[in-house]
This record gives sequence, C-alpha cells and structure tokens, in this order.
Amino acid sequence: MTISIGRPTETGPRDGLGARLAARVDIDAGSLPAFVFNDREVYERELGAIFGRCWLMVAHVSEIPEPGDYVTRTMGTSPVIVVRDEKGEVQVFLNACRHRGMRVCRADLGNASHFRCPYHGFTYKNSGELVGVPFQKAAYGDILDRQRLRLLSARCAVSHGLVFATWHPDAPTLEEYLGHLGWYLDLYLGRAEMEVFGPPQRWEMPTNWKIPAENGASDAYHTAHTHASLPKIGLIVGGSKFAEAGYHVHAGNGHGLGLGMPTDELVFPSEMLDEYRRRLRPEQFQTLIQVKNSHCTLFPNLTFVLSSARLEGEIVSHLNMQLWQPRGPDRTEVLSWGLVEKDASPRWKERARRHYIITFGASGVFEQDDAENWMDITRNCGSPVAQSLDFLYLQGLGRQPATDFPGPGEVYPSKYSENNARAFYRRWLELMLHDD
Amino acid sequence: MTTELATDPRLWIEVHAWLDHEAELLDEGRFQEWLELITEDVCYGMPVRLTRERGAADSHRGNQYFLENAATLRLRVERLATEFAWAEDPPSRTRRFVTNIRVQPDPEGVRVRSYLLVFRNRGDDAGQEWLSCERRDLLRPTPAGLRLARREIWIDQSIVGSRNLAIFL
Repeated sequence: MTISIGRPTETGPRDGLGARLAARVDIDAGSLPAFVFNDREVYERELGAIFGRCWLMVAHVSEIPEPGDYVTRTMGTSPVIVVRDEKGEVQVFLNACRHRGMRVCRADLGNASHFRCPYHGFTYKNSGELVGVPFQKAAYGDILDRQRLRLLSARCAVSHGLVFATWHPDAPTLEEYLGHLGWYLDLYLGRAEMEVFGPPQRWEMPTNWKIPAENGASDAYHTAHTHASLPKIGLIVGGSKFAEAGYHVHAGNGHGLGLGMPTDELVFPSEMLDEYRRRLRPEQFQTLIQVKNSHCTLFPNLTFVLSSARLEGEIVSHLNMQLWQPRGPDRTEVLSWGLVEKDASPRWKERARRHYIITFGASGVFEQDDAENWMDITRNCGSPVAQSLDFLYLQGLGRQPATDFPGPGEVYPSKYSENNARAFYRRWLELMLHDD
Repeated sequence: MTTELATDPRLWIEVHAWLDHEAELLDEGRFQEWLELITEDVCYGMPVRLTRERGAADSHRGNQYFLENAATLRLRVERLATEFAWAEDPPSRTRRFVTNIRVQPDPEGVRVRSYLLVFRNRGDDAGQEWLSCERRDLLRPTPAGLRLARREIWIDQSIVGSRNLAIFL
C-alpha cells in the first residue's frame, strides 16, 4: 500500500538538485549515489520535503501522563512543546512566541499550566491560547487580535502509545500513514502497556541521519561483522545464522523491519503471556512468541530494536527507540529510550533496563560500533571523489516473497535483503522530487 | 563536607594518588588492571542530565548512560579485547584531568568527589571531544588498598557531545 501525500512531480525535476538526483539515483537497479549522504543541498531539501511533511514521532505517552506534563522536542530542526493540556488532550506547539519568536519554554520537561515568553511576557495557556499580553491597552490599544495569536499548532495523533505530529495540513491520517506497520507495532508496543525507563539519552553523532535510519529498516546483514564482538562475549547467541534467520518486511510507505525468528527459548517475561494473548490476534501472538529479535524504522527517522540476550546467565529482552534528528548534512542528534512492559515484575524491569543500557544507549556495545561505521561513511561521502561512487542496494532483487508468514506487507524469507532500503529510498525520492 | 584541613592528610594523599593511578590505567588502556580496582558489589552509574528551571531535579536515574555492576564492567573490558571492538580499535587517545578532589571519611568508606575533564581524539581527526563531569565515588578500604564501590558520573551536558561513550569515565 502506498499513500500519496500529494501530486507527484509530472514535469520531472525542474532544478539542479532534482536533476542531480534523477541522473544518479536508480533504485530499481539497486544503485544510490554517495553524495546523498553528505550534501548541503540534499539536507536543506530534506528539512522541508521530509521533515516538513511526514508524521514524526515526538514522545511516548508515559512521558506526559498528567495534565500539564510537557516535554520539549524537535520535529526535524523545528522546536516543539509536546503537552497534555488541562482536558487531558495531547497537543504539539511550535516553541516560538508569536510576537518575536522567542522560545516560550526552555526546559526539557516539567508540568505547567501556562508558558510565558521570557522576552516581553506574552503568556499562553497549555492549550495554546494567548491569554496574557503585558500592558496590552497601553502597548496595543485595541488592535491586537489575541484569538489569532495562538501558539502554532502541529497536527497531532497518538498510536500505540506514541505521540506523532506533522506540519502538513493534507497529510493522510496517522493510521493510513502507518499502514501495514500497525500490525507489527502491535507486537512491539501493543502487546502490553509499555513505559519508558525515563527521559531519553541524548548525544550527537557526526553522521548523516539517513544512514542509521536505513540501517534500522533494512540491515540485518551488518550484524555478523560489525557486531562480531558480541557472540564472543556471549551477548548474542545463535551462531552464524544469528542475523539471517527470519523475515524481511516492507510494511509500505518506506517503513521496513526484520524479524529474527524462530527463537530457541521465549525472550519475553512469562508473567506477561496472558496479557499478550488478550491484546493480540492469535496469529500475532503466535508470531511474537517465536521472535528472538527485531529491527524496524518507521519512516523517516524512528528506529525500534527489540533485543534479547543471555545476561548473567538468564534470558532478558527490551525494546528501544532511537530518534535520528537531522542537525546538518553530517550531524545527527540521537534520542534514545528504553521501554518495558509496565506490568512486568520489578526484577524483569530492572534486568531489561540494564540490558538496554549495555546494548543500545550511548555506551551500548551495539550502538558504539555502529557509530564508528556511520561516521566514517559520512566523512567519505563529503569528499568529491567518493561522491562519484554509487552504492550497492542489490540484495534480494528478484527474490520471491515468503508464503509462510501471517503478517501483512511485502514479506521476504531471510533477513539478508536490501528490499527495505530500496523501499526507504523510493519513498524518500518521491518526497524529495515532489512538486508543490 | 569537611574542609580538606579537617581530613587526615594521609588519607587525602592516598585518595589523590588512587585517582591519579586510575586515570593512568584508563588513559593507557590497562583495563584489566583497572578492573582490579573495583569491588565485587560495585555500582557504576551515569544519570541522564536535564535542563530544568532552577530548583527542579536536573537529572534522571531511570535512564542512565551507564548502569553497571562488576559483571557488566568485565563484559565491556572483555569486549575491548576482541578484535572486533571497532569503536575503540584503533583506540582513542585520551587524557583524563582530575581536579577539585574532596574527601570525606564515612562509616561505609571514603566519600570522594572529583572533577573530571577528558580529552579524546581519534584517528586522523584534528579535532577532539571534551567531556566534563563530576564523579561522586565511594572508595572502600581493603587489605589491598582502596577499591571503588560506587561511582556516579554527573556529565555537564544534556546532549552528550560525543559520538559514543566507548570509554570509561
């Protein structure tokens, strides 16, 4: 299923960047030019064409449980406040005063009924209305229309406990945007009530945002070599088939995932199985209990990893989310959350938290080696000769879909495939060449 | 916290020497020797730091950059010794500057606060990463000398300005 968010270009590329992309990108032939991973013009186009149009994840509902709870985030590079208002509705506002554009909230998180601009004192309710203008009569007389001067609001919707927002007035509903991915998000986030361990870890990597996003969508292949240290210390089990066994799924709209299965032993807390059975369809439940691990990118920039290991002699698993925020052609801010079932035993939750931190946070033994690759690729892609290279996206071309899997989407046997990467860049290109 | 003059000067000197020795082991990549400086029940944590209004809690212990015990610290060191630990192979050049050391005897051992500034440089990059933090340690006297029983690292950034935390702080 492909959701069109507007009229694709019919006249073909009209400008320099469009011509450069059209001349070099050939996704059907499995070819993508290196320059797209470190190019000022590409980056600046992405901020509008991708981050100005797509539904973007901004928070998990467990971060803002009470009325007035807020977190500040960015949508691409645009600063926003994600707040639960006094009626309990989640809202997303641009964090900019309508008078001069100062940030009206300067904390990472908190609880507030109002946001007051530090510059001149314009005051907004947490539902966005401008309710206070200092010395209004003396300063403005009767020419100020406060009704018109709400905080700029993004369209906002919640699915699977994730808060999403978009600036695009004609974007499809969030449900349509997620499409077939909903079936898989049920496995990650819908199997039980999930909660984050706390506010995200944040750090900045000298890499282009698409490299980690593509990796999350498509790349089980790197696991065997990049993460070869981990079987050696017992954090990965399963030998040479570790990364290969399972399914590779394009869920539509550029959303891609891999499911590592079957597993030798259940990787979830057994006390949660009844809850999973209640919340999932039978075929989802049967799939979930066979899963050993999974990776996924929700287009454009949210990656999930469901990871399991034998840590200190016992099986443990957790779900993590990494949000790859564009900060330049060669810079990405990472926000990283660990999640666990709210109703799992305290012991399981503590072990899951430690498992997340040692594997996928900033110090995580998976994450740190990934960063090394992504950073050096980005550096290379900024040099003129390397930019003339065309990268290989050939794996899985011509492969027949799987017929033994119950989930929706384009499903392929074996996780060694680049079909999801091709689907990611098809979606990316469609948006980049979109004719407004 | 007592002033330095109120602390036994021999203890103060011993703690200084311990911290200098630890920095030397880590800067020289002598991780197995560093592991000998921790207790079996060590807690090694690094809370997430937050930007909040004055007076509000500006850290969170739910999500931490490190949350280690002796077993996971050993696992990390064991990993560095494999030939696939790309994040630190080739290794970074690091220099740890330890200052502002405050020492307070305690029934559980010796409570020590120190400032740490780490310079990190990798590969052919002419630039560097600087990490600034305070460490709040509990050192426990043992027959073999002081051992690290607890460390909490308070990084001075809400967005860590580093590609990863593949080094110990």
